[in-house]
Amino acid sequence: MENQAAKELLYKMADDALIIGHRNSEWTGIGPMLEEDISFSSMAQDKIGHSWALFKILNKLGENEPDIVAFTRNAEQFHNCQMVEFPIGEYNFSLVRHFFFDLAEYHRYEMLEDSSLGDLAQLARKIKGEIKYHVLHAKTWMKNLGNSTEEAVSRLQGSLNELYPMALGMFEPSPFEDQIVSDGIFGGESELMSKWRSSVMEIIDQTQLELNIDGDWNPLYGGRSGVHTEHLQPLLDEMSEVVRTDPAAEW
Amino acid sequence: MESLDPRVNRMKIGGFDGELHKEAMDQLGTYEVFLIPKDGKPLESVGPVHASDAEMAFVFAKEAFSRRFECVAMAVCPTASIFPSPVSEADISAYDLVTIPAETEGENRQYEVFHMNKRGKFHKHVGSVEAIGDIDALYKGKDEYGVDKPKNVWVVPTGDFHFNAEEDSDLWATLPEKKYRDAIFYKAGEKIQRYKESVNS
Repeated sequence: MENQAAKELLYKMADDALIIGHRNSEWTGIGPMLEEDISFSSMAQDKIGHSWALFKILNKLGENEPDIVAFTRNAEQFHNCQMVEFPIGEYNFSLVRHFFFDLAEYHRYEMLEDSSLGDLAQLARKIKGEIKYHVLHAKTWMKNLGNSTEEAVSRLQGSLNELYPMALGMFEPSPFEDQIVSDGIFGGESELMSKWRSSVMEIIDQTQLELNIDGDWNPLYGGRSGVHTEHLQPLLDEMSEVVRTDPAAEW
Repeated sequence: MESLDPRVNRMKIGGFDGELHKEAMDQLGTYEVFLIPKDGKPLESVGPVHASDAEMAFVFAKEAFSRRFECVAMAVCPTASIFPSPVSEADISAYDLVTIPAETEGENRQYEVFHMNKRGKFHKHVGSVEAIGDIDALYKGKDEYGVDKPKNVWVVPTGDFHFNAEEDSDLWATLPEKKYRDAIFYKAGEKIQRYKESVNS
């Protein structure tokens, strides 16, 4: 049972990064403009890199090799929140998801910079600049489009309302919540959520968008314990196609 | 048959008489991107991005121009803020081709001066001057840096640049580890050879 709390944290972080990285990479080549296509694709690649780094830490804690863990599990063995597995939709959906997700990533990694789990603290410090860019990208777009045309504002507003309960699913409490906090590994999901909500509203308040964070929202939980939508398994099938065709493939 | 090739249409080959101009505002304006590849090197121009404002231009520039290789700092300015000299040939300094008189009135402000020392190379930052206008800045640039005989000179009002903050140089901290974004990272020659042999045998 040793390290179980740490593993739960690492798995959900790694799976979040892997699945959103894969999803966002689906915009490669079809982004709304060339510059944005390049930016969004690069960030998707960064996310895959983060998942790889987290799987490496898990590997040191006794789990399988990153490729095996990433490509050979079924949907119910994944611990990502459900938000990240939804199809990319139209760009407003992907953009708002990126905004919610990366603001949470920013605070999560910031909180982990002095984690008692040394490898995780080191990773958090190392990728600080990458996450900083992801957040800058998300905020700049939200402020820009959230103050532009009627169509842009109404599209973003629709996605905010649709995605907010999904985003709350990112903070589904872990069964090890008390232990992870008392062990000094991580400050906990509720502290993270409160930081995240402030950051979200700081940006929303600079736009024509609205979000009633104190409203009666029903968080979309389940992902952390392996309960997923019908969208995850097809994604995993596609992601692992090469490995399943030729397990010894190298490139 | 009417050609759809814009190059043909622009030249009116075959008497094309359609509308040649794009509708106003059908695309975003451009910003010029500059970066410092490593500490101690000068800021250099690397190309343009389309963007609605300077902040968005910076966001795009970061991935369009520094997702590979090296970078420690970046700046963008509206392309329209760049005032270029004429382009020179051979041993002639571009500064010597500036013949129009400098402005005589205006507030003194700071300009950044960039030289292109060889055709096709990036414009590199050589220093700053105080001037009352764009042309005046070219003359001031000649006084300060003219000995280099550049093939082209850009002067840009310093205030028109949008830089990354000093503490944000960590945006590029992990760049040296992203060699996989480079084609030369993939050594495929041997594998291709092996594959060819297996197919041929």
